[in-house]
Amino acid sequence: MTNICVRCEQLVKRYENKAALDHLTVEIPMHRIVGILGPNGCGKSTFFRTMTGLVAPDSGHIEVLGRKPGWATNRDIAYLPDRARWYPNHTVEKAMKWADAFLPGFDMEAARRLADFMELDMDLKVNGMSRGQEARLMLLLCLSREVPLVILDEPFLGIDVLSREQIIEGLIDFLEDREQTILISTHEIHEVEGLFDYAVFIDRGRVILSGETEALRAEHGSLRDIFKTFYKRRLKR
Amino acid sequence: MQEQRVGSIRFQIDFSQPLYEQILEQIRSAIAKGEIGLGQKIPSVRELAHELRINPNTVMRAYQELERDGLTEKRRGQGTFVTSSKERVETFRQELAARYIDAFLSQMESLGYSWSDVAAYVKKKIDERSGERG
Repeated sequence: MTNICVRCEQLVKRYENKAALDHLTVEIPMHRIVGILGPNGCGKSTFFRTMTGLVAPDSGHIEVLGRKPGWATNRDIAYLPDRARWYPNHTVEKAMKWADAFLPGFDMEAARRLADFMELDMDLKVNGMSRGQEARLMLLLCLSREVPLVILDEPFLGIDVLSREQIIEGLIDFLEDREQTILISTHEIHEVEGLFDYAVFIDRGRVILSGETEALRAEHGSLRDIFKTFYKRRLKR
Repeated sequence: MQEQRVGSIRFQIDFSQPLYEQILEQIRSAIAKGEIGLGQKIPSVRELAHELRINPNTVMRAYQELERDGLTEKRRGQGTFVTSSKERVETFRQELAARYIDAFLSQMESLGYSWSDVAAYVKKKIDERSGERG
């Protein structure tokens, strides 16, 4: 088994005239908590969609867990997309039972523990959930799967501070003794930068910097400083 | 950078420096200064990761290093404790003191001071202090 989780070479995806991925090249190692960082619209979500086979690249090469993305690799990926879809009549419990039936590797015990920890009431109706509750439920369904790769696309976006805290706490708990690779995209680096042990900075569909966070800190300072520096440079151009 | 207390240890985590070394150094110095006593329990990996909001693997690495140094010991099912060996902590305290003094001397050297200048200055300070104490 290779020790590379995601390998991309010269990946290109265009939407009309705009390149969402512009010759993106990167290698992401296994068993890390990886921050996929960059401003809005830099190509993070498109990058994730190519990993899950939802988007076919125009050119270039991508391998996830040593294989080409598709339905076979998706068994091994828990993906939290940037938008949620639910059955309107579901409760938290029903959504979990649905996941147990349909998502490979779903662990009901882990899900119950996480629901308790993140303070999600089992009888809560999906219809009446706040954004924060919805985000917590989505995260719970992803984190309760024993799969080698977890992809979380902006798990903190637009949710209240309390839910964000609970999600971070849930993540820290979950990170202990797991042999998984977790990719987390965010543009709000400050609160979570301590969680990452690897970081990939993306700008305009390209990887501009990547590496072990401890080495990046020793060389460039905090992830947030790095982010600000290159973002500022971009504004000046 | 804000100070956080976890158990009896104070932490100041600076995200612009490697985190592993900071945790290691700050626990070491708490032990050397006696802020956390012999045989006392230190926070669990999970607790520290939660309080400082950092990856548990980073905390774990620092804890493994402390154990290798003999400054802490793991007790099965109970957690991690500061060593109960007074000698071990004392040896470490002396190593730390030697490191501080070496760092001080090499900084003075880089400023162009000779060791006799340094010695003279230290002697002056000692005289002042003993004068104060009468």
